[in-house]
Amino acid sequence: MDSNIILVIVVATALGFDFTNGFHDTANVVATGISTRALPPKLAVTLAALLNFVGAFLSLKVAATVAKDIVDPASITMTIVFAALVGAIAWNLITWYYGLPSSSSHALVGGLVGATLVSNGPGAIFGAGLVGRVIVPAVIAPVLAFIVAGASILIVYRIVGRLRPGPVNRGFRLGQWASSGLLALSHGTNDAQKTMGIITLALVAHGSLNPDNFAVPEWVIFASASAIALGTYSGGWRIIRTMGSRIIKMDPAQGFAAQGAGAAAILAASHAGYPLSTTHTISGAVMGSGAAKRLSAVRWGVAGSMVIAWVLTIPATAVIAAAAYGITSIFGNGATGPLVVSVLGLGGLLFVFRARLSRGSALTAAEA
Amino acid sequence: MLGTLVDVDALWRTAWTAALAGVGLTLVFTLAVVGATRSADSRREARVGPAALYAAMAALGAAGTLAGVAYGVVLITTK
Repeated sequence: MDSNIILVIVVATALGFDFTNGFHDTANVVATGISTRALPPKLAVTLAALLNFVGAFLSLKVAATVAKDIVDPASITMTIVFAALVGAIAWNLITWYYGLPSSSSHALVGGLVGATLVSNGPGAIFGAGLVGRVIVPAVIAPVLAFIVAGASILIVYRIVGRLRPGPVNRGFRLGQWASSGLLALSHGTNDAQKTMGIITLALVAHGSLNPDNFAVPEWVIFASASAIALGTYSGGWRIIRTMGSRIIKMDPAQGFAAQGAGAAAILAASHAGYPLSTTHTISGAVMGSGAAKRLSAVRWGVAGSMVIAWVLTIPATAVIAAAAYGITSIFGNGATGPLVVSVLGLGGLLFVFRARLSRGSALTAAEA
Repeated sequence: MLGTLVDVDALWRTAWTAALAGVGLTLVFTLAVVGATRSADSRREARVGPAALYAAMAALGAAGTLAGVAYGVVLITTK
């Protein structure tokens, strides 16, 4: 009975994380399109939500990486999965509070590693999987996107340099419809799968799936796709503003180059099964398209804050998840621990929203 | 040490594929934009031949971009 209650709490928390993932990462998909006025904000967010939903059904390779390659699935309990999700949601909310685009993927991985570490020790962490499939790609992806977007925009400026800017800008705005769509699709493919992977881990721990031979159930795919699409539709306007105009002021050609480079990197990584941070990739591409035009065009202070948040993500979420696991364990193996932490978490959530509102009303589509 | 933890081949393949696709897609679409802009300019100056050639270039660029996007979708769906 207790294990069924814990499973329900874990699945609800995982879908809550998926919602914050969509909410937090809307900016990755729509910010460039909105800031260059290629797409009206509401339409951009609606399209992104729809394509995120569709993208979630297209591939399961990243879900398999999260479920099998980072920690030992046999050592996972539902309490560990729950604690990992608490760490990831907390980090997403902290970075949303400060308007910083950070990685929901790394938050989830960090949470999983932290909770597993305190419960089972370092033996249950797959070091090769963590370094080879998460940390190294995390460093390479933004650098690659930076270089590709930078090279792309240099070529574009070289080719269109003497043309009238009006038609050229209109052309690239039109192109951003395609690049935004591809980006949203690749985001849904890469990000919704992480939640699918984590719910699958919980089902394995619950005994509903065989740890040696399991597939992601269809209801998990549908629920994860719906949660990330709803989160995307809700739109994290504060982060959209940071991504769209606080790093650089973009022209339509830069927007297209950044989105093209970002989508290409995410698709290539998803194909190889790397749970890539879409945030890092798109941010790298946005900075690259700005720096190639003029180094001083990039607000390096904002970029620096983002990089600090990126470096802190895995250790910080690991610590929060370890603490959540510790608090849960005080109440034994039953459902009481997760229930208590859930209530505390919801209380914290209300506190954060009140604090946010007391600093001024939340941003809307019109202000982003 | 890092070589034992990281599948360098897969990572390298991912990197050059992303680079090629990213730069390629932008380049092809830029040709479409240039073609469309120059075609409109040529039409306005009543130069029919160049207008048609630039229009063809724009159409090829647009088709190439759509093909790139379609290939990206195929890439996701065939995993």
